[in-house]
Amino acid sequence: MKDTIRKYIDQLHAKGAHYVDARWYPHEDSNFLFMWNGNLKENNASSQSGLGVRVLYNGAWGFSASSDLANPGAIFDKAFDNARIASERVTFPVRLAEKEAIVSSFNSPNRIDPFTVGLDEKVAFLQKMDTALNQPGIVQRMGMLEFVRKQIIFMDSEGSEIEKNIIEVFPSISAMGIDKDGGMQRRTYMPGRTSGTRGWESIEEGDFLQNAERLVSEVNQLMVADDAPNGKMSVILLNGIMFLQTHETIGHALELDRILGYELSFAGGSFVRLEDFGNLRYGSEKLTVRANALEPNSPGSFGYDDDGVPAQDNLLIDKGILVGAITGRQMVEEANAKAKKQIFEGSSGANRATSFYRVPIERMTNINIDPGTDGTLEDIIANTKYGLVLDGDKSWSIGSNREQFHFATEIGWLVEDGKKTKVVKNPTYRGETVPFYNSLAAVGDKSTWNLHYVNNCGKGAPNQIMQLGHGVPVCRFDNVQVGE
Amino acid sequence: MSNQVIDLLKQLRQAALKRNLMALISYHEEDSYLMRFANSSISLNTNEHLISLDFIAFDGRKKASYSMIVNPTDFASMEKGLDILAEMLPHAQPLTYDPTFPVYTRDVVDERSFDPFMCELTNEERLAYFNTLGEGLESDDVKLSGIFSSGTTTTATITTANEFTQYFRATDAQITAVLSSESLKWEVNAEQSAQMKKDLDARSLHADLALLVQNYQQDQAVQLPVGKYTVVLGPAATAELVQIMSYYAMTGSALMQGYSFLKEEDQGKQVFSDQFNLIDDPRDVEIFGQEADRFGLTRQPFPLVSEGQFQAFMWDQDSADEFGKTPTGHDVSRTSLVINAGTEPIESLKDLCEMPRDEDILYIPYIHYMNVVNPSQGMMTGSSRFGALFLKKDGSVQVPYNVRLTQKFTDFFGKNILWMSKKQVAYNVSSSYGRRDPTALRVPRFVCVKDIEISHSNPSY
Repeated sequence: MKDTIRKYIDQLHAKGAHYVDARWYPHEDSNFLFMWNGNLKENNASSQSGLGVRVLYNGAWGFSASSDLANPGAIFDKAFDNARIASERVTFPVRLAEKEAIVSSFNSPNRIDPFTVGLDEKVAFLQKMDTALNQPGIVQRMGMLEFVRKQIIFMDSEGSEIEKNIIEVFPSISAMGIDKDGGMQRRTYMPGRTSGTRGWESIEEGDFLQNAERLVSEVNQLMVADDAPNGKMSVILLNGIMFLQTHETIGHALELDRILGYELSFAGGSFVRLEDFGNLRYGSEKLTVRANALEPNSPGSFGYDDDGVPAQDNLLIDKGILVGAITGRQMVEEANAKAKKQIFEGSSGANRATSFYRVPIERMTNINIDPGTDGTLEDIIANTKYGLVLDGDKSWSIGSNREQFHFATEIGWLVEDGKKTKVVKNPTYRGETVPFYNSLAAVGDKSTWNLHYVNNCGKGAPNQIMQLGHGVPVCRFDNVQVGE
Repeated sequence: MSNQVIDLLKQLRQAALKRNLMALISYHEEDSYLMRFANSSISLNTNEHLISLDFIAFDGRKKASYSMIVNPTDFASMEKGLDILAEMLPHAQPLTYDPTFPVYTRDVVDERSFDPFMCELTNEERLAYFNTLGEGLESDDVKLSGIFSSGTTTTATITTANEFTQYFRATDAQITAVLSSESLKWEVNAEQSAQMKKDLDARSLHADLALLVQNYQQDQAVQLPVGKYTVVLGPAATAELVQIMSYYAMTGSALMQGYSFLKEEDQGKQVFSDQFNLIDDPRDVEIFGQEADRFGLTRQPFPLVSEGQFQAFMWDQDSADEFGKTPTGHDVSRTSLVINAGTEPIESLKDLCEMPRDEDILYIPYIHYMNVVNPSQGMMTGSSRFGALFLKKDGSVQVPYNVRLTQKFTDFFGKNILWMSKKQVAYNVSSSYGRRDPTALRVPRFVCVKDIEISHSNPSY
């Protein structure tokens, strides 16, 4: 098959295509198990294979994909034809940043391939979790296990040939109860990534059982809790909401395709402008953010992106100042040309597609916040006069340019005079992105830092779901509007 | 076309029987085309031709499923999928209830939503449509973005119970056009949902865009004070609100999971405005109504709200089995929701702007990034986007920066409804995250609601 792909790439190149790449997925397997109140509602396996071809012709992209590999030449021809039509309406011809031709491979680190683990063992795990959650006060119990295994062969007209073999595991459990006012309250546990691998071995049963007990306790506390207060106060965001805050208001805002207006018809733009790089005070001096695609244990680490560029660790925000973006080969060239100066030295290796039948676009890798020097969670609480500790994402809604946001969390703890005094339910907070990050008053140390995965980040048209990660510490923001 | 698909399903049925499987076998084929525009260029021109199969096997209370995107010429790999399913089934944990196995009693062929001309739409025609809708409106600062997504979706099912089959085919187009200012960052849009090629109307989108661009270039931009406003919702805002509300509140599973703000005892009670009727209407071809559900139940018009009274929850087969309810024909990937027409003769954005008014009105065409803050209370949040207008009572128009609304669904569709347009439009809410699945609602062109609270107002675009 690789010889066939190479032949067609060469043929299109000879026909005048400026650049051609192909992603062949010999297989992508997944396994999804969902237990709800003891019933195994989903017991699903799936597989897919196919070929996606991207062609750059006269400054315009064409793409075609099919699961029908009986005639691969037809897929190449269609992609070329799509590019030819697209080239009839071009205002800024696509150019690609330089890269080296790479012949290499990447295997995501794991000790136990989850596809070698029997279904009985997986179901037994979910049953154990269900039993652990089946306690007084809990009316809904959910357990989920999702496994993905894929092989991707990338080849391009510049001589690259990269094979990737990636395994992911996405486990979670949730417990729900009805509060004193008749409202549904929920707590969810998605484990952080503390081990160095991402196979079946990263699902630690003991850790899940301990957290199941915690969820039951917290739901029971929420059932009798008062509503969270309204007003301006400090919010201390634990990992279970800080990862999403980072995702929505730093990660998406710094995708270069959004900044350049390529997502305006769907996901939205960004308040960031090209002249902001090197100048904008995005947050307080305590804020340092990086896109680190080299974390070994995260779905945001993939070896090489779908432009064939190696994964990297790049600063995005350095002590509060905006310095970098999430980029692929096309966007850095356009940004530098539009800015009439070199803002970006090259692709940051963040162009990814969700499957063989989607085209790569700028996606987050691991958008991480560096740990700070403000001590442990307990230290941060002790230094807080009045506010809320918040955890667990319940809802999130962000302005189209990522300029403002509204979050609801699963749980809150009131902090008064340096002490957690009680649990409160239905907490919400909102803010404007830049003032919010400039109110960052405390960043927890390494003991508060954890890496969360995201397996459902949506973007693009046609839409794509992507997997990635966020390593974040506990952070405290002051003077935040709570409760609207 | 249908013969080829039915033949494949019958071969797969035989293959399942050979493995002693009791199975529901589903076929999905999409031929999708998407031309994407950004910065006044075609930023991507793509097509995907994908065939998927889903197998669900039943063995008493045990169930397992296998899904695959397949090479249609590779029957051996499809059989391998059945082999994997046969291996999985014995390891499934028995459910605590008896799942229904679908037994069809007739053949169904439903191609009412299929248009051969839409099916054959060309790249050149998609490009011409966009060239027309943006004609004369672009500049060095004002750039055109958008998508022209169109395609054909074929679905079919068979079970091992007998040789009856169900076959559905639909065409759809979803068009979104955005004009945005690169320097000021405002953005306005116009959209169209179409099931037939003859309904494609680039001129109508051009008229809306021209009006909005004129407003955004000439009228005063304002940061609205937070507080309560009389709001007119455009079709995108209305359709998304109703779609999300029906998902979170009007299904049996949402009720049993405790998410719904509607309770069983609300059936028959006045919950919404007496002007508000909501029906799931599978007869409506333009919004891709389907004749039967996956379990072979004939789908009938299903009133959800009648003159403000909540009528009933929609029960899919599995939830009905588990909770001892009667399924309502809702084992479908999409509903076909219709809000009744109102009485107000306002047909276009121009009519709305010129309408005599005795109070200020905030027009919100689109609510961006809607999410449900508290499902038990039916509380949502989202921000205005794409061409909001502030229609002053003196007849002038201002351009508001985006605002955030955090309100209950009943604030929008309860007693606060002032009027609804006589004209209805289809609005395509299809997502292309997974398989193509044309989904649309029919809603009034405008819905006017009083006392909608703005909780945050942006200081700029």
